[in-house]
Amino acid sequence: MPTTPLTDPGTGPGSGPGPGSGSGSGTGTGTGVRPGSGAGRPPLRARSAPPAPVPARAARLVGLWPYLLIAPTVAGAGYLLLYPLLRNVVISFQHFRAGELIRGGAAFVGLENYRRVLGDPEFWEVTRRTLVWTGVNVVSIMVLGTLTALVLAALGRRMRLALMSGMVLVWAVPVLAATTVFQWLFQSRLGVVNWLLTALGLESFRGHTWFADGTSTFVILVLLVVWQSVPFVALTLYAGITTIPGELYESARIDGAGSWRLFGLVTFPILRPLFGLITSLEVIWVFKCFAQIWAVSKGGPDGATTTLPVYAFQVARSLNKYDLGAAISTLTVLMLVTLLLFHLRRLHRHEGEPP
Amino acid sequence: MRYRLRTAPALLALTALLAAACGSPAGPPAGEKNAGPVTLTVWFMRDTLSDALVSRFKADFEKTRPDVRLDIQIQEWDGIGQKVTSALASNDPPDVIEVGNTQVAEYAASGGLKDLTDKTVDLGGSDWLPGLAEPGEIDGKQYGVPWYAANRVVIYNKEVFEKAGVKEPPKTRDEWLKVTGKVNGSGAQGIYLSGQTWYALAGFVWDEGGDLAVNEGVRWKGALDTPQALAGMDFYKRLQALGKGPKDADEAKPLQAEVFAKGDVGQIISVPGGAAAVERANPAMKGKLGFFPIPGKTADKPGAVFTGGSDLVIPEASQHHDAAYEVVKALAGERFQTDMAVEMKYVPNRVAFAGALKNDEAGAAMAAGAANGRATPNTPQWAAVEARGVIKEYMTKVLTGGDPRTEAARASQVITEILNTRS
Amino acid sequence: MIRRVLLNALALAILLVSVFPVYWMVVTAVKPTLEITSETPAFWPSRPTLEHFATAVAADGFWGFWRNSLLVTAGAVLLSLAVALLAAFAVARLRWRGRRAFVLMVFIAQMAPWEALLTVMFIIARDTNMLDRAAMLTLVYFMITLPIAIVTLRGFLASIPPELEEAALTDGASRPAAFRRVVLPLLAPGLMSTSLLGFITAWNEFAFANTLIIKNQDDRTLPVWLSSFSNVFGTDWGATMAASTLFMLPVLLVFLVLQRRVVTGALAGAVKG
Repeated sequence: MPTTPLTDPGTGPGSGPGPGSGSGSGTGTGTGVRPGSGAGRPPLRARSAPPAPVPARAARLVGLWPYLLIAPTVAGAGYLLLYPLLRNVVISFQHFRAGELIRGGAAFVGLENYRRVLGDPEFWEVTRRTLVWTGVNVVSIMVLGTLTALVLAALGRRMRLALMSGMVLVWAVPVLAATTVFQWLFQSRLGVVNWLLTALGLESFRGHTWFADGTSTFVILVLLVVWQSVPFVALTLYAGITTIPGELYESARIDGAGSWRLFGLVTFPILRPLFGLITSLEVIWVFKCFAQIWAVSKGGPDGATTTLPVYAFQVARSLNKYDLGAAISTLTVLMLVTLLLFHLRRLHRHEGEPP
Repeated sequence: MRYRLRTAPALLALTALLAAACGSPAGPPAGEKNAGPVTLTVWFMRDTLSDALVSRFKADFEKTRPDVRLDIQIQEWDGIGQKVTSALASNDPPDVIEVGNTQVAEYAASGGLKDLTDKTVDLGGSDWLPGLAEPGEIDGKQYGVPWYAANRVVIYNKEVFEKAGVKEPPKTRDEWLKVTGKVNGSGAQGIYLSGQTWYALAGFVWDEGGDLAVNEGVRWKGALDTPQALAGMDFYKRLQALGKGPKDADEAKPLQAEVFAKGDVGQIISVPGGAAAVERANPAMKGKLGFFPIPGKTADKPGAVFTGGSDLVIPEASQHHDAAYEVVKALAGERFQTDMAVEMKYVPNRVAFAGALKNDEAGAAMAAGAANGRATPNTPQWAAVEARGVIKEYMTKVLTGGDPRTEAARASQVITEILNTRS
Repeated sequence: MIRRVLLNALALAILLVSVFPVYWMVVTAVKPTLEITSETPAFWPSRPTLEHFATAVAADGFWGFWRNSLLVTAGAVLLSLAVALLAAFAVARLRWRGRRAFVLMVFIAQMAPWEALLTVMFIIARDTNMLDRAAMLTLVYFMITLPIAIVTLRGFLASIPPELEEAALTDGASRPAAFRRVVLPLLAPGLMSTSLLGFITAWNEFAFANTLIIKNQDDRTLPVWLSSFSNVFGTDWGATMAASTLFMLPVLLVFLVLQRRVVTGALAGAVKG
């Protein structure tokens, strides 16, 4: 993903707000799996660790301090996120077109915009496509990412370093650069992909115009997003795998488990929280993915790659229907929140425990 | 306690910084406060004028108005609608903007443009080209000032034609296909026609008696699925097949002038000004370029062409209305119009200036075609049809094997929907 | 043994497939134009050339866009780091009413549909006279990166045992000194990985840069320039790939500088053998 927040694979997401950070005291000392760097706290729950005593000094600070510390965050979010979001909701209840944008003064029209958006079959078509887009991408990313992580863990030192460097390299490619590269790879006349397919005997691909067809454009965009996202998943999961104590594998192996069973028996159960966290992050990123689609196809051809964020942008910016665009994006946010409600609830539960 | 005291200032400073950064009440934009010359920002579109012409105009204007500096910026066509809308909505927009004649109606309707009705006499508006003046006018008020027009002609490579044994430029469509086929068989591309050159398609459709959309009283209706329009598309498809133009791109990707400049392409459909871009890309092409009007169905009448061109507008929010008008007046006046007509091979904005193109092969070809010039459907919503790329996608569908009837019906329906939405 | 070979083959395949696009970008950038436009692609440039880089760098205002991107990105990263550190500290080390809600909000903020806010942000910038200003872009990027910065830093902070600080305090160090001497060094990887993340996000951002910089074209950033570059030089794939390579370079550099201590440090430290 382009906006892929790049957290340190070893620690970032693993110790983030996700389930991984939930119950432990934060040190992981009790388990004997403490990673070398100190920062690489195991994402698995350190069940045996006793809750750390709340430092006496910290307790004294309870009062105004926490609020002062988060004040800049709250102020920034208020002005740059909350206010725009509210303003967006307000616009979704107004008649707000180019004229209103330029001259100001917009009339309220109640639920009219929502009625029109929800009554438009195109909206439902786009919603369905967005779910397919998210599903296909996230499943591919997770499967390939996990596979790569497992391969990484099983490799010898040199090969592992090579593969990791490759992953980091791919990770470093900026979104816009990636989109130009993929357009070049799949260019109809000089693209290396067509040349390769033709050379393999698929004569029909000579001069094939990938971006003329909805399905093939969709597929290329999936390839692009998967390609950009796998490194994050692979490196994070790999970091997670390395924190699993070898004894667990050994005892499972003594019980006669093969490689696949080992994954099902040991790796996955232990890393389940990490899997959960990464999956929900990928759902978020893929669902609201915009830049790649816009740069490659602008949602075309014939709307075949129009997902909800692209649709909202098209309606608002290309057609100057800011009001309908605002309604669509508000609905998008609601959908995303619903999608992730499960995860959020779990997160909320964990946050109830002592820090 | 010490903790509190030490950190508090840092914290306060940070909050203050944030607050300052957020709410900084900016004064007037830079460059306004100084007593020096005012700077006017002028937006021209990519490839409208040659660099030489731009700097000539800038120097000329600044000599006559030492109190004004011009900041001339070149904009891309891609996504220009959003950009101009944003600019019109801002507090400090550019002072003069070039606007395509198919788009000016939309901006005029939005209310962000300065009303220039009282200047039409001063500008000699009585013999403005109607294809430029009409879209710039709404409810009897003139917002857009006609700037230049151009229609497409065929630019051909004389050397390639000669090698293929073609002596005479074609006069009818049938001849055109025959000649192009012959060139295409001679080792060069017959014609480089990208799949989404929709202005060319529009011409073929008009020739057949069809249109892109028709006005049925209060409602508009997409008309790509009429038999006439389908016949136009069919001709486009046959012509497009006589070369290697990409089926899924327009003439800007890649720039057809640069493809043509390589010397192994027989023809392109372009405004005459495109010849300059070809020669710039490959100076060896000088002297090899020939021009003829797009052939019609019969030899006595050249093909219908889309009259493209631009208007000049002044945003209502501009802080220098008077100076901006001076710029518009200079750009629309005889001196610059003549200079531009000669250098860029455009049709000047007034009939009175038309003599400038008389002794020019390209100009003659264009003028012949211009007699049969047409415009896109005159409604503010038309810009949205262009922005959505409806026609372009339809063309690609058909060229890559889609059923013309089905695709045309679908595209027409989309056009109908767009044109009938009130903004 | 066979398993070993198969595994390495698989790894090699993954490596080749994932690195090929990057390789192809760089190779195209150094190939002579003739080889780029030949019908049979050359997988290795016969005569490497820097002409495409020259074209890209010589494009109008290239260095200006470069500088703008760097300034905006650096500003956003520093701001976000400072603000996130405070909030992360509050969340990781202190207990207070509303903490749960705050963390939840931070997490939800990560999902913010930024592209949907383009128009609104434009209106807000216009009404506060912040249009066409790099400062506005900096603030927006700061806000985009802030939630994940808080999340990351909090994770790192939580992994540093408070006992260490306490020990320093009992040794007579002041609270800030203890923080500086004990926590900050341990937090360094966290700060670096957070800035890396912020850097990438801000460096990549296109939509807002394209919306909030309207009139002053010289204030545009690299992504916006690159997008128009493919407009202008659409046919010149060599130059486009050269520009893309140049665009990637700073990210790669930041990776190399920061990552050695962050990614490999954390990973290699955890790797047995």
